[in-house]
This record gives sequence, structure tokens and C-alpha cells, in this order.
Amino acid sequence: MTFDYHEPTSLREAIELGARFGVDGRFLAGGTDLMVQIHRGRLNPRHVVSLQCVPGLDAIEVDGAISLGARVTHRRIETTTDFQGALRALVEGAEVVGGHQVRNVATVGGNIVNASPAADVVVVLLALEARLTSLGPAGERTIALDGFGTAPGVTVLRPNELLTRASFPRLAPRTATAFLKAGRRRAMEISIACVAARLTLDAALERCQDVRIALGAVAPTAMRARSAERYLEGRPLTDEVTREAGRIAATECRPIGDVRASARYRALLVATLVPRVLARCLERIRFHTS
Amino acid sequence: MTQVTRIVGRSVPRMDAPGKVTGTALYAADFALPGMLYGRVLRSHEPHARLVRLDTSRAARLPGVRAVITAPDVPDVRYGGSVKDERVLARDRIRFAGQPLAAVAATSPDAAAAALAAIEVVCEPLVPVLDVAAALAPGAPLVHEAWASYTALPILHRDRNVCNRARIVVGDVERGFVEADRIFENRFTTSSVHQGYTEPRAAVAQWDSSGLVTVWSNTQLPFEIQTTLAEILQLPPSKVRIIVPGIGGGFGGKLRIGMEHFAALLAMRTGRPVKVMTTSEEELTAAYPRQPAIVEVKTGVTNDGRLTAREARLWFDTGAFAGSGPGVASVATLMLAGPYRIPNLLLEGFAVYTNKTNFGSFRAPSGPQANFAVESQMDIIADALGLDPLELRLKNIVREGEEGPTGQVLTAVGLEECLRRAADAIGWRDRRPRAGRGKGIACGWWTTTGGSSGVYVKINPDGTVALNTGAAEIGTAALTGAAQVLAEDLGVQLADINVVSADTLSTPYDFGAQGSRTAFAVGNACRAAVADLKRQILALASKHLGVEEHALALREGSVVGEGKRTTLGELARISQASGGGLIAHGTFVAPPTPYDAKRVEGHVYPAFHSPSFHAHAADLSVDAETGEITIHRYVVAQDVGFAVNPAAIEGQIEGGVAQGLGQALSEEIVYENGRVLNANLTDYKMPTTLDVPRVESILVQHPTLVGPFGAKGVGEPPNIEPPAAIANAVASATGVRITTLPITAEKVALALRARAT
Repeated sequence: MTFDYHEPTSLREAIELGARFGVDGRFLAGGTDLMVQIHRGRLNPRHVVSLQCVPGLDAIEVDGAISLGARVTHRRIETTTDFQGALRALVEGAEVVGGHQVRNVATVGGNIVNASPAADVVVVLLALEARLTSLGPAGERTIALDGFGTAPGVTVLRPNELLTRASFPRLAPRTATAFLKAGRRRAMEISIACVAARLTLDAALERCQDVRIALGAVAPTAMRARSAERYLEGRPLTDEVTREAGRIAATECRPIGDVRASARYRALLVATLVPRVLARCLERIRFHTS
Repeated sequence: MTQVTRIVGRSVPRMDAPGKVTGTALYAADFALPGMLYGRVLRSHEPHARLVRLDTSRAARLPGVRAVITAPDVPDVRYGGSVKDERVLARDRIRFAGQPLAAVAATSPDAAAAALAAIEVVCEPLVPVLDVAAALAPGAPLVHEAWASYTALPILHRDRNVCNRARIVVGDVERGFVEADRIFENRFTTSSVHQGYTEPRAAVAQWDSSGLVTVWSNTQLPFEIQTTLAEILQLPPSKVRIIVPGIGGGFGGKLRIGMEHFAALLAMRTGRPVKVMTTSEEELTAAYPRQPAIVEVKTGVTNDGRLTAREARLWFDTGAFAGSGPGVASVATLMLAGPYRIPNLLLEGFAVYTNKTNFGSFRAPSGPQANFAVESQMDIIADALGLDPLELRLKNIVREGEEGPTGQVLTAVGLEECLRRAADAIGWRDRRPRAGRGKGIACGWWTTTGGSSGVYVKINPDGTVALNTGAAEIGTAALTGAAQVLAEDLGVQLADINVVSADTLSTPYDFGAQGSRTAFAVGNACRAAVADLKRQILALASKHLGVEEHALALREGSVVGEGKRTTLGELARISQASGGGLIAHGTFVAPPTPYDAKRVEGHVYPAFHSPSFHAHAADLSVDAETGEITIHRYVVAQDVGFAVNPAAIEGQIEGGVAQGLGQALSEEIVYENGRVLNANLTDYKMPTTLDVPRVESILVQHPTLVGPFGAKGVGEPPNIEPPAAIANAVASATGVRITTLPITAEKVALALRARAT
């Protein structure tokens, strides 16, 4: 394991280095995934380009659309006041990743680019309909998060591109979010299934006006439960309805069985967690609007 | 029994605590010498194969590489404690994925890793024996074709892939089953779990010009390693010196030879000190984790809940080598009897070879596996008979003066008190407070391992005391306990005592940090040394003060009598000037526990010395949909004989329960086709602080006649009952009985679902 380490001090310089090294290079943000993969011999980059000294990648913007810079850490998300209300799912996703040391350095951008199907914050961002911004020699482009990952560890990002931020629209009124995960232990755990939802109720606070449900660790990539979403729209959110949504989501996910859990149990967890996440959203909307 | 004591019986801080909490304590993993090389071991990827060729030529030419050794470079020795079936490096046959094939030494860890990757291995895979069932099948391939020719303890009952069958026979089980109204037959299985010590196994070896090799290692048993390493190196034991600088946890995983032989052989080859330390992957694929087990228990009982007979068999997967297996299979039979009065018994423990790592000893070896089966079945019986599980136990437990399964007479039996106090504390009367919440109880017994201990105790010229012991402090505070005993008897303060330990050249013999014996045996050796020292001290003081010996007394570091007084320091100085100093050699060996030899076969551990008794109770909830378990409270009542250091014992109980809950709920080394699927700490799930509830400890004290101040061994027992206590609480909460470990949320959820449909 040897590589050349580069520490650019501007975005432009970082992009230049990225373009020069192409597939031989890797950007380093928090390093909690990259360094592990290098140590385990799964990745062997010749050049590692640290983003540590690149300014402008660690901003959280909440005016208008909400935007998270690629180097925003999980710990920052956990402690951001603006995320403690309707955007609570972001905090719930961030605070269950790894341990304190990992969350202090692990970044949103790294989490997205690593493209693990079990990445908790990515599942939340998917429910928030996030769009990603990347910068390359040819300039900026935006990419929908849905579809960004194509397989475990594989994305549509080009080798010479740098992910700079993820952004998503402001929440509509009468909207709440929630996130739940299941694992074998209560901390330091990789999800065996996780679910995030963004729910908007109608003016009467009875029916589902709009919903997004995202699932983690139950397909090759984080995925939207579109059939469940379609089923819910316009319906009153009774226990029966949310349970049915769970059943639908369980049929549209495509889990594998591995050392962490069987495919059958993962599907069962989706069926269970979807109604629970919706119930949390419902409770939150009613609490905040009453 | 009330004793007025100054230092024993008190929760004094551990002597090793300041160094450990401030980060200054030295561990073997920290140890380094100038000019030291880094060793690594090449391990097989195949679980079972014929080794055709190892080409090390490219590796040997890499920069920084100083030595590459393979089987022909090391003495052709087969070693092993009970069966000599293991070699340092595979010669022509590979018996598990993880078996050492070659070792390298290089100037940096990276260079050593590069050398491993450059060794070419050519082998022809053979059909692996993947588990106990495959090993016992008619016509199964033999893991050791030459098993019959191996040197082994003559007492063992060996047969092909079975490297021991230990048996206890009492009365007539068939008659006992005829007397029974109901017969219960159940089968249980458990998984392999790793000891999870924080510090990997590590050794640094250096040879000197006299041909003596010194190995600094984190072994629990320096004297056993000395013997084994001398055998491997074909040297007299005096040419092998083992020093334990410190140990970051052992729990039985550091009993047998670890990295010492690789370090010694590489250091011999290179003429430089060599350090070898394991990776997490090596720990989870090629260490000595707990044996997976299959347990079948058949128990006869009358309608009013009296146990009439038990026939039980436990098969341990011992892996590619016998190791601890034959002994642990023996201990298992005593655990299958449980702490119960059962007149008719046929109990068998098997250690079975497979193509896996050499599973070994882990805190109370065999205890959790056998107890999980036996104590789960007690609840199954109680439910079927409509009896309260606590009442069923109280009706059948052993009592003071009764016989254990092999005829030993039991004394200091605090079991009823343990059961009643644990049940009271958990709120047993309300044992199913609501759907999805329930309480479970389990009890057991365990040994205080025998073996001998020696200490030298010396009075320094300033009146402080040097305790020189061959035992190692493995983090249990056992040597603090022994020093408390010494300070108590000698009339000095604990702060006056300094400990020198675990150096086979300079410290007296000790059977080692195993089997809950250190505070017990070293403490008793200290008492013997003080008895001798007191004679020396009083004789010298009498001469010095001109007072008759019988009129003198030892008090707070001084000798006083007839209004005169001298200090221990002054007496030590006088002795140094005239008689070579005040020093005593104290020894202890646990007296043999009489048993009925006619009841046992193939048994290397026929009776429990100074047995301890314990009961655990858990209160938990189960999520009916996800199967997730939340433990609200966990209570342990443990008969410790006499609590030498209550806070340290509570620490042992809390740690043992945390480890036990890992085994109960989340930990397992998962094998597929002979290879470990989760050889990393991401997917091998030890519990975190959020997974372990506060553990409430109740110290029950029924003193033994043998232990210091009545103490019993305390370190291992807390690890025994958690799986059974959790299984029983889950059954109480849900009505679902999980018979395999670990009891994952997935198993519970799928069982609940299966019942619903």
C-alpha cells in the first residue's frame, strides 16, 4: 500500500489534480471508507488527493433550498439546529453511523460517493429528493441522487469529477421526516435494513398529500419504494393503510441474504419499519401544527 | 462467619489501575527492542488440502525481508497438551483455513506483508470435514489419518475424529426414566465466539550469546509456554525464558502457544529481535475461540417436578487440533449434570476434529454451552408441568453435604440463597408483567481450578514488601486480591506492597492465570509465606528487643511487645547485615477433591474444587415484529465464598455478563465451507455500551475452608448463565423458545412469525 498524497488548497487545484490522475486517483474527505478499503487491499490508488485544505466544501445552507457541502461531517448534521425539526430524519440518520470518532470525520460527500447500499444518510437524502452537484474540468453539473449509485460501490460520477454538494428543496408545510434502522446492536452498526420517509399531509391532517419513502440495505443501491408511495398518496393514514404500504415496500425491495441477515428478514424489517416511520412522521406533523 | 479485617473484604483500588487508566502501563503489544524486525505468518486459504509446494524465492529477495521460513526450517516436532497433533508450520497437509504455512521477518510491517503476498502456494484441495455431523458420519474423512499413532494422555478415549469422549455414569438412567412420569428430550446448538481481548496476541523474541531465548509475550501461562516452546525448539526449558510485560485481556484465549514460537524461530534465523502480532482477521480465523457445540439432553421427571434421570451428550467442534478440547469435553459433563440432585446420570462430552481453527478455552470453558442447554430445558420442563421455574429449581438443587455428580461432597453451597436473592431482586412474582415482556432465571456451578502456586515475599529495608509471583495480572485484579491477603496477614498497608510477576527465570512457579484460580491460589501461597516470615521476624525481633517471642506481636508494620517496638524495615536492615535478608517462599496447591473414580471414564477433570454457585435473572422486552430484545434489568447473585475485594468482583461480574450477553444475543464466528465469513470487527458483533444494561451484583458469601479467608474463584462464573437467562426470559416474554445461539432478533422474529401462521 503506497500512494502519493496531495493536499490542494483550492477547488480549482483539486479538480486539476483529479483530472490529471483520472482512475489512478481518489479524493480523500473523512477517509473512514477510503482508508479501510485501501488497508483491506480493495482499492489501490496511486494518488490520494485530500480535500482537507480545500475551502468552500463544508457549508450548510438553509436559505431557500437546503444544501450540504461534500465535506460536512455527520457530527455537524447531528448538531445543526435547523435539522432538529421537520428535517429530523437527517439527524436520525447521521447519529447512528459508526461511533463518535467516525462521525467526527466521516462526511456526507464520502458517504454518497462510497455508494454503499446501507449508507444511512444517503437513504434520508433520497427521501428528501436530493440532487448532487459535481465539478469537473468541463464545469459543474447536477445529478439526481436517485440513480447516482448503480451498484454497490459504483456511481455515475466520472473519475475526473468531484462531488461538491447535495441539495434538496425546502419542505412544504405540514411535512415531517423520520428515519429508522435495524441492526444486530444499538451502536457501531451497519444497517441490515433502514427506512426514511418524508410525509406531507393534507390541510385536514388526515390524508397523505405527498410522500417519499427510501429504503437502505435491501437492494444493490439505496432505493425509493415507489409503489408504496403511489399507494399512499391521497389515502388516510390509518394503521391499516401504513401497514399495507409496508407490505408493498417489502415486495418491491430486492434484498440479499448475507452474514448480517437473511433476505427474508430484511423484507420483514421493511414491512415493519415503513409503517413505523410513517407513524413517526404523522406524530411529528400533528405535534408541530397543533 | 464474621471476620474483623483491615484490607481484605474492602473495595480498595486495584494496584494496576493508575498505570492502565493513564496509559503508562506496558503491554506486550507495546514492547519493542532496538533493531527489532517484524514477523508475519502466511496462512492457508484452503480448509483442507495437500500442500504440494511453497515457493518463497521471490519473497526472500524483496527489499527489507530478512528471513522466510517454512516447515523444513523448523524442528520436526508435534506438540500439544493432551494430544500431540500440531506442528508449527504445515508440512504436507493443510487442516484448516488459517493454518500457518510459512513465517517471514522483515524490517517493517509493510515489507513483511509484501513478502507474504509474494509466497507462491500450490496445494490440492481435499474434501473438508466441515462440522461435527460430517466428522462423525460413517466413512468420514479423517482429519488426522495417523491419529492412533499420536502421543496422547493415556486416559483419553480416542476414536478416529473423536479425540476424547469423557463420560460420567451414575446409577441406571434406564431405571430412572421408568420412574419418571414425563421425559423431555431437547437439542441445542451454540456458535463459536471469540474472547474479544482488546490486545492482540503478541510476542517479541531475542536470543543471547549463551543460547538462551527470551520471549516477552502476553500469555496467561508463562510456565506452560516455556515448556511447549522448549519442546518445539528442542531445548532444555532453562534455555527458554518467558516474561509477561502485561496483558490486555485473555479470557482463556492466551493459554496456548500463540506467536511465541514464530517470534523465537524468526529471531533465531535472523539473529535479531523479532516481534509478531496478530491482526483482527487472524484472531477471528486462527485463534482459540470458544468451541461450537451440539447438546442433546434427555431428562426424566415426576409430575411433582423431581428429576429422576438425565442422559445428555455434548459434542464440541474442536477444530483441526485437540488443544483444550479433551479437557473441556470433560468439564462439560459436570456442567451437564448442573447443580442438581439427579440420582441416575449418563453424561458424555465429545471433542471432535473438523477442518476449522483449533477452538479452545474461553472463560468457563464448556460452561455457557452446557448451561444454555440444561437451564433452557429446566424451563421447558417447568412450563410443561405447570410449575414455576424457580420452584422447580429449588426442588432439585444440591444442598450442603450432598454429592456432586462424581461423588464429591459439596460444602459451602450457597445456591438457594443465590436463586432466592436473584429472583427477589428481579421481581420474580411478576414474571410476565405484560405481553412482550418477561423475566428469566438460570443457575449453575463452577470450579476453582487447582494447580500450584509459589511466591517469594521479601521485606525491603524501608519496611515495604516485594511480592514475587509467577502468576500474571490479566486484568482481573487477582494479584491485587493476593496482595490484599498478604498485606492483611503481614500487618502492612496495600501501598507497601510491590509486585514482581510472571518471569520464568526469576519468579517461582505458578500454574497460571486460568480457571478463576489466581487470587485464590496466590493468596494462599502468600499466607504460607507470611507464616514463615513471621517466624523469621519474631525470632529476629526477640533477639533485637530482648523480648520473648510469645510476647511479641506484628502490628502496622512494626513488632511490639513489653512496651518495646521495632519496625519491619529495621529488622530487614539487621537481617541484611547479618542474615541475607527477610525472605520467605510460600507455596500452595489445592488439596485433591475426593470423588468416585468408578463413575468416570476418559475424564481429565473429574471434580470441581471449592465450587462456586450462582444465579442470573433478566428482565427484558421483545419487539413482536422485529424480534429486537431490550434488556431492562440484569441481576447476578454469585456465591463468592468471601469477597476479598467487592468492587473488583463486581467488575468481574459486569464484564462477564457483558461478554455473556454478546454470546447470548449477537456474537458468532460464521463459517461457510470451512471459511470464516465475518473475520473483521464490523461483522463480528461484540456488544457496545448501549447493548449492555446496568448489571446488579449480589455477593453471596458461603466461605470455603480452602480459599483465603473463605474465598472461591470468581472470574469465570459470570460468563456462564447469560445465554440461558436470556433464552428463558425471551420464552417468558413471547412463548417462543430459541434453542440456538446467538438469539438474534432475526431468529426471534421468524419464530414469532412461524408461530402466528
